[in-house]
Order: sequence, then structure tokens, then C-alpha cells
Amino acid sequence: MTNMTKRFEEIEHTADIALRVWGKDLAELFANAAYGMASQLTDVEEVSPTHEEEIALEAEDTEILLVEWLSELLYLGERANRVHVEFDMQKVTEKELRAVARAGTVERYHTNIKAVTFNELEIVQTEKGYKTTVVFDV
Amino acid sequence: MASKEDFQRISEYIWEIPQDYRDDMRVPARLFANKELFDAAFGDRSVEQLINTSTLPGIVKYAMALPDFHQGYGFPIGGVVGIDPRSGVISPGGVGYDINCGVRLLASQLDQEQIEPFREDLMDALYQACPGGLGGDGRLRVSQRELENLLTEGAEWALKKGQARREDVEHTEEEGSISGADPSKVSSRAKERGLSQVGSLGSGNHFLELDVVQEVYDAQAADAFGLREHQVVVQIHCGSRGFGYQVCDDYVKSLQSAVQKYNIHLPDRQLVCAPIDSPEGKNYFGAMACAVNYAFVNRQVLAMGAREAFERVLAGKVDDFHLRQVYDVAHNIAKFENHTVDGREMELCIHRKGATRSFPPGHPEVPAAYREVGQPVLVPGSMGTASYVLVGQPKGMELTFGSSCHGAGRTMSRTEARNKVWGEDLRDEMQAGGIAVRAGSMRGFSEEAPIAYKDVSHVVETVHGLDIAHKVARLEPLGIIKG
Repeated sequence: MTNMTKRFEEIEHTADIALRVWGKDLAELFANAAYGMASQLTDVEEVSPTHEEEIALEAEDTEILLVEWLSELLYLGERANRVHVEFDMQKVTEKELRAVARAGTVERYHTNIKAVTFNELEIVQTEKGYKTTVVFDV
Repeated sequence: MASKEDFQRISEYIWEIPQDYRDDMRVPARLFANKELFDAAFGDRSVEQLINTSTLPGIVKYAMALPDFHQGYGFPIGGVVGIDPRSGVISPGGVGYDINCGVRLLASQLDQEQIEPFREDLMDALYQACPGGLGGDGRLRVSQRELENLLTEGAEWALKKGQARREDVEHTEEEGSISGADPSKVSSRAKERGLSQVGSLGSGNHFLELDVVQEVYDAQAADAFGLREHQVVVQIHCGSRGFGYQVCDDYVKSLQSAVQKYNIHLPDRQLVCAPIDSPEGKNYFGAMACAVNYAFVNRQVLAMGAREAFERVLAGKVDDFHLRQVYDVAHNIAKFENHTVDGREMELCIHRKGATRSFPPGHPEVPAAYREVGQPVLVPGSMGTASYVLVGQPKGMELTFGSSCHGAGRTMSRTEARNKVWGEDLRDEMQAGGIAVRAGSMRGFSEEAPIAYKDVSHVVETVHGLDIAHKVARLEPLGIIKG
């Protein structure tokens, strides 16, 4: 289980939501991005996971993989009226991801995220690991 | 980052960055704004985004942003580009996720004082008949097969299903249906999301508003549109819901490889595109056209919901409770239109991202009833403030590919709005000011606070001053339904 400290922050964007996310490795970066997204959708502390889903994705590069991952969670969440709040990242490489995501029912949403964008999306390697900024269309 | 000094002032309302400002620009970039809006343009990344759009292959004339422009993703909101289909690209990022988000205006035959005793009941009935909120189901649930017909036929499908009147269809941009829609280019996931949401408002900045015509500026155009002072009207603002988001999402991802395949260099991945003439570009257009048609049907079905609410509350109490469709305009769309560039008429793929078509008097695509005065342009203000009805003018064809502003345009992030405004306070304030409010999420409500937006009157004065579109009427809200 990846450590779920909140390794993200909301940054200013005129119309949409932008999150800056960090992680010591790709697995943590992806988990933190997913947790950050969940925190925009609802009060994550109030969600008790009742369902889990296995997610396996492949993509041409890591940025596409990140968008695919977050989009998949949005899609799975929307159709079951749930939000994923726990992420067991089994494998995250530059082009491949395998994870188990756990979700619970949500009574009140803060906001609706239409999509995860590629807006200036770049995953940057730093001395301490990885960082990126994700813009969500709301 | 571009600064004010990089712009040349072409005229009172036109500011231009020359093509040589950046090596990758293919044409200049123009900002249409009064001095105040121009000065305020540099607080976010919208100018950079405008310049980025000038790098798209096949772009002609100049990249432009209308006075309600602000930061988006990829394109700025309020951005318009015209692209030569023979050499250029089509960009899902240039249309956006909410494909054919747009506005519909319905006019009643009633004065404000006639509905006043029933206003709260009417708001409750509208709230019930026009579902909003997150992921919510719509008025209709369609089968897979019906969905395919809906996607191909648009408003004509609604007409066959008894969900539209002939006049509604005639008074809709493109008559509520664009050709080239190809459901086989739409993912099963998009279709799945589309089945249950026909006739739903959604959330975010989408709304349904009960308004009164407060002031008429152009009597002739107002008369042609069937608008008069004190009249009660209804505005519906929404788009293609989860269906459109999924179509855009699918193609923004799948076209990433096309960018490499066709050796296109982009300053931002969200500008992802493919040659219009390529299989990838054609596939996107076929899928996008489906979403355009879906959104026209969505607003149409909601219009029927509004009619149902009016009938339920007002039948037997007033002489005439009917709602007549004034017009319906798209403001997130890419489509083929004929325009004159350097004295030569050519077909262009016009991308409007947060911009409204505004065709002038005499244009064949303006409905017959309005052709003498021009196309109605619907400009909703921020929540709780005035909205405007404009009419397209010939100058727009020359300056902006027949495009006008689509709203007030945000200036403040959602976080800042939320920190400054408490949703419940804002609701109480609006209700004390005589506006009835029905809202799903108070957080969402505070994010749409008027202080987060530009003053729509500045935006409208600019397009009026540019002679792109002229003011016809101002609407003031009586009641707001927020998804």
C-alpha cells in the first residue's frame, strides 16, 4: 500500500482545476495524482471503500499513461457513483500500469470533473523523484 | 511570456502580436478587447495559449481571441481559428471536452407581472423537469439503436420522436444537425455514457435561467426575434454531457500518435490534432459531429421540459403559457464554413472554443424569419447578472470569421472564488435581490459567483463597438437553476 500522505497541491487556474503532484517514484506520483483528483470530487476522508477494481493499462508514454489512469478512475467512478480513494500500485513503469483501486459510495460531490487534460502536461524527474502538473476540465 | 509591449494596437478594440514574435507562429495573433479587458489579459496564460494556436498547420489570416477570452487548456476560451482543409489540421483540443456546449433561448408570451404569483412554483417545476447535477440521468433514456439515429440525425430525430417542433429545428444553428456524423467512429464507452443523459443540464457553469427582457436596444431586430420589454424568457446553457467528454477524451489520446506520424510540432500537447484530410482527422470529425448532434438534442429535450413545467404551473391561470424557440447557438465546435480570405472565398474549418457564430443579415444560414436582421447571438452573463441578445453584423465576417463572444469570461480561479464567497451567503443575497435560486451544490454555486467573472457589459460593448454584433436586448434573471 502506497503511503497516502497528501503529496499534491491545488494551484491557480482561471477556469479549471490544476494540481501539482509529487512522488518519490512513478507509483507514488500516480497514486498521489489519483488521491488529489478524488479530493476535488468529494471529502475523501468520508469515503469508506467498499469495492475494488483491478486496473491494467498500457500507453505510448508516461504522460498518456497518467491521463489514461486518471480517466479510467473517473469513468469507473462515474458509472457506479463512487470515488476511488485507495490505490495499491502494483507496477508502474514508463508505459505500463497495474493497480488495485478501492472506491466507496459518495453522497455529496464537490464538483464534476469532465476530463483529465494534456494541457502542458509533462512528468519531470527531480532529485527527489518525480513531479507534474495536471489540469482537469470542470 | 508575452507582455503588453509585444502587442500593436491596430484600432481601439484590436491588438495584434506579429507573426515574427515567435518562430513557430504561422500567422499573427489578435486579441479583440477594449483597453480595460486588454490590460487585464496578462494575469493568466491565455495570451500564451492564443499565440500557441497560431502555430497550427493550415491556419489562415490570424489566430484570435474574443473579448471574453480567458485561460483554458490548449486553446484559450474565446479562441477562434480558421484552417484551410487542404493543408491544415483539425484539433479536438480546439473544440474542447464539452462539444457543442451552447445556449438556447425560449420566449414566453407573458410579462413578468403575470408569472410573479407563480414564480416559486414555476422554479420548482423547472427544477424537476430539467434534471441537473453530477452524473445525473436525463429526461430520456434511449436504446443503443435509438442513440445511433439520434447521433446521425440530431434535431430531426427529436422531431420524429415528438420532442421538437418544426420551428425549434429551424431556429437552431445548422438546424440542429451537422452532416458527417459517423457513430462507428465513437467508442462504446462514449455511447454507454450517452444512453442515460439525454435531456440533462449537468453541472459546472451550466444552468437554466428564467429571465425578463429588461431593455430593448434594437427594436427592429427584437421584433424579428419576438422579444419585447417585460417579457419572460428562458435560457438553457449546457452541452453534450458525458458523451461529448468521452469523444474528446478518446481522440485527444488517440491523436497523440497522429501528431508524430504527420510530423506536426506543437507547443502544448493539448493542441493535439491531425490533418483534416487524414483518416485520423476524418474519424475525429465523424465522432465530433455525433457529439454536436447529441448536444442539440440534449438542449431540445430540455426545452420540452421547460414547456412541460410552464404548462403544469400556468395552464388555466394565464391565457398563453407556450414557449417559442428564439434560437440555439453552439459555442464549442469545429465545422466547415465558407469565408472570404484575401478577397477569395474558401471553405475553412472554423474552430470556435468558447465563441458563438454570429452571421450577418442576408446570410443564407440565418433562418428565414431573421434573415433581414441577422442571426441571434446569445450571450449569457455570469450567474445572477445580465445576459444579452445580440445580432450578427457584416463586419464579423471580415474580422472574426463571423464569430462573437459567448459569455462574460472568467477572471478568477474556482479556489479563489470559493475562498471569497460562501455559497449560502451568495444564495441568500441573490434571493434577497429578488432572484429565485435552485442549486445542487453550494460549493459549485460559490465557484460561479459573479465576482469570478468579467463584467459582461464590457465584453458586449467591445463586440458592439467592433461592429461584429450589435446589442438587441438585455435580460435580467428572475430565477436560476444550477446543476
